Amino acid sequence: MHTVRSLIDILSVFVLPTIIIGFPLYGLYKRVPVYEEFVEGAKEGFAVAVRIIPYLVAILFAIGMFRASGALDYLIDGARPLLGLIGIPPEVIPMGIVRPLTGSGSAAIVVDMINQYGEDSLVVKMAATMFGSTETTFYVIAVYFGSVGVRKTRHAVPAGLIADVAAMFLAVYVVRLLFG
Amino acid sequence: MLNYIWAGLIIFSLVFALAHDVSDLANDRYRNGQPVPVALHLDGYRPGTRQHAVTVALDSATLARYGGALSTAPLRWDGTLVVSEDGRELRFAKDDALPEPLATIRRVTSPRENDLRGVFSFEAGAGDTLIQGSVEFAPVRFVKLDAITRAAFDFAETAVTIALGLIGALALWLGLLRIAEKAGLIESFVRLVQPVLRPLFPQIPKDHPALGYIALNLTANVLGLGNAATPFGLKAMEEMQTLNPEKETATNPMVMLLAMNTASVQLVPPVLLVAIMGLQVNQLFFGILLVTAASLTIAIVAAKLLARLPRYRDTDPNRADAEASAAV
Repeated sequence: MHTVRSLIDILSVFVLPTIIIGFPLYGLYKRVPVYEEFVEGAKEGFAVAVRIIPYLVAILFAIGMFRASGALDYLIDGARPLLGLIGIPPEVIPMGIVRPLTGSGSAAIVVDMINQYGEDSLVVKMAATMFGSTETTFYVIAVYFGSVGVRKTRHAVPAGLIADVAAMFLAVYVVRLLFG
Repeated sequence: MLNYIWAGLIIFSLVFALAHDVSDLANDRYRNGQPVPVALHLDGYRPGTRQHAVTVALDSATLARYGGALSTAPLRWDGTLVVSEDGRELRFAKDDALPEPLATIRRVTSPRENDLRGVFSFEAGAGDTLIQGSVEFAPVRFVKLDAITRAAFDFAETAVTIALGLIGALALWLGLLRIAEKAGLIESFVRLVQPVLRPLFPQIPKDHPALGYIALNLTANVLGLGNAATPFGLKAMEEMQTLNPEKETATNPMVMLLAMNTASVQLVPPVLLVAIMGLQVNQLFFGILLVTAASLTIAIVAAKLLARLPRYRDTDPNRADAEASAAV
């Protein structure tokens, strides 16, 4: 496992410089006017970022309000008895609910949990596994669809949330299996 | 679905904030209009002097009656007594640790200065070093309603900061990708990956550059190269959008890419998690890998199956093609 890990780590270090230097070099070899084409492509960067703004504002302000209202605490209290029945420890429920909504919020939860339960506790391992194995669904949806102006997202949200819920359960069971 | 979730977030925040504030009012949590008895210790009262440095003393039982928690620690803070024609104002020292509900009162009534202020009424003096009196704070109402309003504006600003923060990385990568495209790199990359990706994205035609960008996006994700993954993904979205007859509606391949991205295909633990947990992350590596692989599979299956549901099948921008190929 360690060799796989270090192999990926080494690969991660080398991939970026290889691309950043390799693309223009290969372009030169293929007689592409590299500088002109780079600028032509880079021009788009600003436009894309600006296109994302309304979508990101819409998603983030709603999530921010929801977090500030304290509704999450009620939601977590409500979910507790239900999820307890299927073996989900109450301590990890906040993580499961917050993870698809905000990345910074769920990172804060991991920090809080480490302070409260200790790094070696099972619940912290579960929460960290949840954090590591899923993405901030609503952020990704806002950015990706926003960049091309897609407003009707069809089954993207349900598919993403199904994966998030699955990851939450799996994180609990896998950690219990490996460390429990 | 996103419409309902979005509206739900807003409606629920309003409902919960209102419920919280009404219960605050009903329980009179901030004791609006009720002065708190305090004793001020000072070096000597000098008539005509505008500001006196004082020590504010409050006994625990009084605070408890005022809605705070009983504590054994002496409740003493530095402060300033400001005397002017308009009356006497007591200001607690900036950023001092205050117990509830005083801390909330300060946060709401003096957000910028962060010093708790109230009108001081004189009751009795003992010598000129001790003054008994009471302080009345500005009324506090609708704390949560105020908080959600502030959060809305704060997060709107955060969203813009995040979006604009992407510009640099986006410009760099989109420039490099343009060179790669012109040099024919993307083309050869597409030929390399399409045997694997075509089954997942059947609606993208053979040899289409979108497949190359999708592969780049997934590879960057696998290696945890966040700042490269997003530009690659957005380029893939742009290419898929050229195939989309209804520009406002997501196509099946778009949803598939999104599902794979939200499920995360990362092999390397996220940088943030490494920053928080340090070396502890190493022992979680295998577990994260397992869960990621499984949730990715579930995301792919969910995206495939959901696409067959009547409500999503009928909104597919490419439904005409799909029907044609089904008929054949």
